[in-house]
Amino acid sequence: MASYKSPELRDKLAAEYVIGTLRGRARARFQALLRYDPDLRRTVSEWEARLTPLSAAAGEIAPPARVWQALAGRLAGAKPGGGAWTGLAFWRGLAVTGGAFVLILAAFIGVAPRPEPPMAMVAVMSDDKGVPALVVSWPSMKAMRDPYVRIKVVQEHPVMAPGTTWEMWMVPAGKSAPVSMGLISTDADQTMKLKPALASRMEGAWGVAMSIEPKGGSPTGVPTGPVIFKGQCVKLL
Amino acid sequence: MNRPAPDALAMRLAELLAQAALKNQRAFADLYQLTAAKLFGVALRILRRQDWAEEVLQECYVNIWNHAGDYAAQKSAPLTWMTSIVRNRCLDWLRRPQREATGDEYDIAVEAWQDESPGPLESLMASSEAAALARCLRELDARQRQSIMLAFFHGLSHSELASHMKQPLGTVKTWVRRGIERLKGCLAAAA
Repeated sequence: MASYKSPELRDKLAAEYVIGTLRGRARARFQALLRYDPDLRRTVSEWEARLTPLSAAAGEIAPPARVWQALAGRLAGAKPGGGAWTGLAFWRGLAVTGGAFVLILAAFIGVAPRPEPPMAMVAVMSDDKGVPALVVSWPSMKAMRDPYVRIKVVQEHPVMAPGTTWEMWMVPAGKSAPVSMGLISTDADQTMKLKPALASRMEGAWGVAMSIEPKGGSPTGVPTGPVIFKGQCVKLL
Repeated sequence: MNRPAPDALAMRLAELLAQAALKNQRAFADLYQLTAAKLFGVALRILRRQDWAEEVLQECYVNIWNHAGDYAAQKSAPLTWMTSIVRNRCLDWLRRPQREATGDEYDIAVEAWQDESPGPLESLMASSEAAALARCLRELDARQRQSIMLAFFHGLSHSELASHMKQPLGTVKTWVRRGIERLKGCLAAAA
């Protein structure tokens, strides 16, 4: 269409496209044109820059939590193998749904690739903003020869500062003094062996926490550095 | 919640978009938290239906996730880029014939624009980058301003504008066109 060559018309169409009054087939035609015409794209961008401040003035409306949940689910589905994403989407959703928590959690742990005993307890550890960072789970410690907990990273860690370590703590029910579980690495999926004395207490754990400690771990036996992740335990069995 | 100033926000959003382009999920979650309410407001006003707005918002964020890498090539501010994605998606959505708004369900929403109601214009003035736009909008003829704002905020088409403002189609088309011309002239002079 020759008329698209007129600069005035191009500008007018771009403006109406951005304002939204260009509709139907005219809009479709204009969009087709945009694909091949960088100059026209620039004209559109200019109008967008002119008018978008209006949108900002119009006030915010928070979408319901289900939008993020569905979005996270879609992205997780669209990216099979995007393990970390699946993790984040997953845990974010959980943070809101609450009730479905244990069931989905069980399903998540159920699909763990390694054959291992069913997990008896789990804690999702979050940062101070409530964003999940680690999942700690463990099987029933009864009759276990080498008691351990599994630790999975659901989103990337902050960098471990030189000269520091990360120490895991079991917070007993009644929230008495935390008991050290050991030092963790930056591995995405790791197993932490527990001393038998601690293993026998894991069933009664109220929560788990992770603190930043000097190399070698807390010198005092209680957390000395900041607690960056913590989470409450949930019984699965 | 402590909100960053607009410039700080723009920088933060650009940074989060760059990280989202590298498929950093945490950054994308933060991006969502910082922008979802703004973009949902935009979508809800245009679509006027909660379920549509939710669906479109979701689609747009999938889009933003997939195309975050393209953002760097844009000259626009991050929020402008994201808002344009949402606005365009909404307008495409309304293009499907069965989705054209029908009855009077939006009359309440647009009541604020019945007259020269300065509400959103006042809040525009508060931000310096938008002050020129607000001033130029004020300089328009009231009917030109009203038709542009109804179209922009609430996604009204020419024919919807005509029926809402009880004017012939040709008349509202002219208001929109003249309004655009004057607005452009005024903004160019202000720059």
